[in-house]
Amino acid sequence: MSGLVGQGVARVDGRAKVTGTARYAADHEVPGVLHGALVMSTIARGEVLRIDGGAALARPGVVAVYTHADLPRLRLPDFPYNRRFVPMQDTRVFHQGQPVAYVVAETLEQAQEAAGLVRVRYRAEEPVARMADALGEAFLPDDFRERPNEISRGDAAAALEQAEVRVDRTYSSPMQHHNPIEPHTTTAVWEDGTLTLYESTQGVVLARNVVEFAFGLAPGSVRVVSPYLGGGFGAKGPTYPHTLLTAAAARLCGRPVKLVLSRAQMYTSNGHRAEYRHHLRLGATRQGALTAIASTSTAQVTRADENIYNGGDSTLRLYACPNVHVRQLGVRLDLPTSSYMRSPETTAHFGIETALDELSHELGIDPVELRMRNHAEADQQTDPPRPYPDKRLLECYRAAAEAFGWARRDPRPGTTRDGDEYVGWGMATETHTYNVIPSQARLTIGPDGRATLRAATQEIGTGTYTVLTQVVAEGLGLPLGHVTTLLGDTAYPAASLSAGSATMPSVAGPAAEAARRAREAVIALAVADARSPLHGVPAEEVVTLDGRLFARGDRDRADTYRDVMTRHGGPVEVTGSRANTAGHSFGAVFLEVRVQPRLGRVRVTRVVTAHDLGRVLNRRTARGQVIGGVTWGIGFALMEHTMVDPNTARVVNPNLSAYLVPVCADVPSVEALFVDRPEADAELNGIRGFGETPGTGVPAAIGNAIHHATGRRLRDVPFTRDKLL
Amino acid sequence: MRAFGYTVARDPAEAVRLAAHTPGSTFVAGGTDLLNLMRDGAEAHDHLIDVNRLDLGRITVAAGSLRIGGAARMRRVAEHPGVRREFPMLTEALLASASPQVRVMASIGGNLLQRTRCGYFRDAASPCNKRVRGSGCPAITGQNRGHAILGGSEHCVATHPSDLAVALTALDATVHLLGPGGARAVPIGGFYLLPGSTPDRETVMRPGELITRVDVPRTALAGRSRYLKLRDRATFEFAVVSVAAALRTRGGVVRDVRLAFGGVGTRPWRDTRVEAALRGRPLTRQAIDEAGGLLVGDAKPYEGNGFKVELVQRALASVLGELGGLR
Repeated sequence: MSGLVGQGVARVDGRAKVTGTARYAADHEVPGVLHGALVMSTIARGEVLRIDGGAALARPGVVAVYTHADLPRLRLPDFPYNRRFVPMQDTRVFHQGQPVAYVVAETLEQAQEAAGLVRVRYRAEEPVARMADALGEAFLPDDFRERPNEISRGDAAAALEQAEVRVDRTYSSPMQHHNPIEPHTTTAVWEDGTLTLYESTQGVVLARNVVEFAFGLAPGSVRVVSPYLGGGFGAKGPTYPHTLLTAAAARLCGRPVKLVLSRAQMYTSNGHRAEYRHHLRLGATRQGALTAIASTSTAQVTRADENIYNGGDSTLRLYACPNVHVRQLGVRLDLPTSSYMRSPETTAHFGIETALDELSHELGIDPVELRMRNHAEADQQTDPPRPYPDKRLLECYRAAAEAFGWARRDPRPGTTRDGDEYVGWGMATETHTYNVIPSQARLTIGPDGRATLRAATQEIGTGTYTVLTQVVAEGLGLPLGHVTTLLGDTAYPAASLSAGSATMPSVAGPAAEAARRAREAVIALAVADARSPLHGVPAEEVVTLDGRLFARGDRDRADTYRDVMTRHGGPVEVTGSRANTAGHSFGAVFLEVRVQPRLGRVRVTRVVTAHDLGRVLNRRTARGQVIGGVTWGIGFALMEHTMVDPNTARVVNPNLSAYLVPVCADVPSVEALFVDRPEADAELNGIRGFGETPGTGVPAAIGNAIHHATGRRLRDVPFTRDKLL
Repeated sequence: MRAFGYTVARDPAEAVRLAAHTPGSTFVAGGTDLLNLMRDGAEAHDHLIDVNRLDLGRITVAAGSLRIGGAARMRRVAEHPGVRREFPMLTEALLASASPQVRVMASIGGNLLQRTRCGYFRDAASPCNKRVRGSGCPAITGQNRGHAILGGSEHCVATHPSDLAVALTALDATVHLLGPGGARAVPIGGFYLLPGSTPDRETVMRPGELITRVDVPRTALAGRSRYLKLRDRATFEFAVVSVAAALRTRGGVVRDVRLAFGGVGTRPWRDTRVEAALRGRPLTRQAIDEAGGLLVGDAKPYEGNGFKVELVQRALASVLGELGGLR
């Protein structure tokens, strides 16, 4: 073992990315490609009466203006296509910014100009745009992906009744958008009944399945290529209408078509985090033991579908509590379908982690101590409760509290001033439920002794190329530079969706397995080859390191991958696959805010985190996830907010000028600690998902710190200055 | 965005002549706002006349005034030693604007003429009286957190987004124009129009006129000035509320004061009654509160921006307190 796994290896694709040689989906140049532009609905509810594409068609270079009358009839795919309709199949309009016509032209500029010339007449109905206007119509939606929206254990109502101390509060968060910097894009190329899609997607395999189903194509007819993503955050997890429409347009006009969504179109085309209201009631003993959690959340759904994407796992199972009742309601609005967005549990988590702070204040028990007293050793939703394997959340609390200096905290709010600012310290638990998706990875050792790993998973910006290269190099005993990882192509073995923090727990094991088997195959070749200095050495006595193979007891009996493979004359190819199980990773965030209450200014000035993520595969990329997660948490707490016009249900701030995300000056340096276990299984069994864990606790920690600074309790994000006046 | 023509003008006279003879034309300098407006369909021009080659980028501290060329870049003005020394408010307002990248590109003339950030104005599919006269104003009953509490009409409540214009308003700057009818100078206090029933008309500029220069009087007062900008993130964001203030006191009594406000008015907002209420009085919390009360006496808040009534008074108190040494 060369000890590569765990090191903060710099990104193997970093140079390609910063020099522009990494080819993202829209960079792909296809000869003869036409350019698509979408015409989007300007009503939220109703139907299309007439579409006049005459003026558009008269423009030079315009090839076609397709409407619902032209498009082939497509089958409605199931999840991960997450809308219950395909646009441009009929005249119905379900939301503002729904595609109603598709313009194809020779150049991008021609297509965009022509799209602006298409005239659409509608019959419009009055939309419902605000959850506050329709709360009376909240309902319990059907199960979603085999998960019910009402879950109960024990008797929460009775336990609340008898509780010595109660907290009864409502928390809320607005609609938010993912805003990956790379827009969604599809280039569709049909050849002899097969389709190639150059796509920006978090899941090439699922995208292929959705498109094959929609078009009624035989399995294997569609190839999806997505070697790099400029971020996804869930916006590119499901497959969305623009992909299907582009494939349909390309088939209709008999030429390849490329579509890149505009930033504004991304606010209605690819899901968002649903607006969320969370009524929480906690019951506890005077000693701080939780006896009841009653949680009723309300999230926006649509008139066409009712899936709840902001799950309530944190209220259900984060803390030991015998009586829990979780209800997840929906309210139908005439807005686009929501979806998963980075750390979907953040909305519910914000509520429970704020409520616990309120409880700690009520009881006079330190918030860290209160969480420790309610620590869950086992998953209470299993029967009997299944102990969490090797959970080290308590260590995280201690490590982060120590590094932060929490012991020095005066618990009384409003006691620390520095100039005109009040200083506050707050903390919260972090957690995320990660997924695992059956995956395979194929490893080829070429005649030059170099290795190539292929897997149909994706690099969404988190470092997948780098970490898998580390895993394979370490497993084989090859230098990092002798391993190439290829991702994002359905021509490779099926592998994980890059969502739900599933990539590493799903793919690291298969990659390690492939490396182990390929190493064994190369050693077998060497020891069986009379020309090898290792001829006759027992295979288990052969050590591989840095591209060399040598006998454990006699380093002079040595060969190299290159020589073994050159003599062999052909490749060695193996496929690794290994099951893992979904689970949870945990952590804690402690932070400091400075509040200038007269002007309503809040600054986050110090952040310390500690996370239990099982084995750290790459210290640098793991830290990158922490910094990114904290940044997201700051955005969630202080500024992010999609604004919808209450009368027209149209997004009013669909751009990065008006939809605020943090800038560098909003984010302090982050001290990221890991409760690491480098001694864990060298074969990389049981790797945990981590990417979405950091950040989940940050919004509550900021609110808790604001309370500590000022005595003001804020329960509705974003905490803009008007709420602090 | 639709196709447009493009000509580079060689001198101001040629630029003005080209504009007069080219229908549907407008000037472009840095293009940092104009091109976004054209891409979003909020503005459409058949022809752009590039004024970047004109000799209009100079910044000079002359006998009585600071002279800033209309095509001077925001960054150059902000960093100019004379501006830093004598007009700290200008440097602060410029450095609080946009991002370093935008400030390198954007011109002073373009900054003064940038369009409102109202989301309805910038969405070509929404009605907007400023974009299409008579089409309606959805902001009044819609999302209006960023909108004005002062100077609005039933037709428009959009704010002017320029920080620089607020500072120049406080400093009694003069805008020099060159157009088909010749050159003229307009005091900045009369440069911007209230929306009334014609919110599409934002300034007194006539068709084809170009901003050639902005003059700022050199006064001792300007040297004791500050620009306080409150916004929803640390940088790269427009003001929720801003205050440009210059103050001179003697023995705790206000000798002179200039105040202008951003984020609250439909134009860079100056109300000389507020200054008059302070002038000649001891600078006390009470005097400042009374002045703030005068400022918002006519305020008309909407659902989303009511907090600005309080916030702008607190911002005023904060900046005057700082300049006047009240702690």
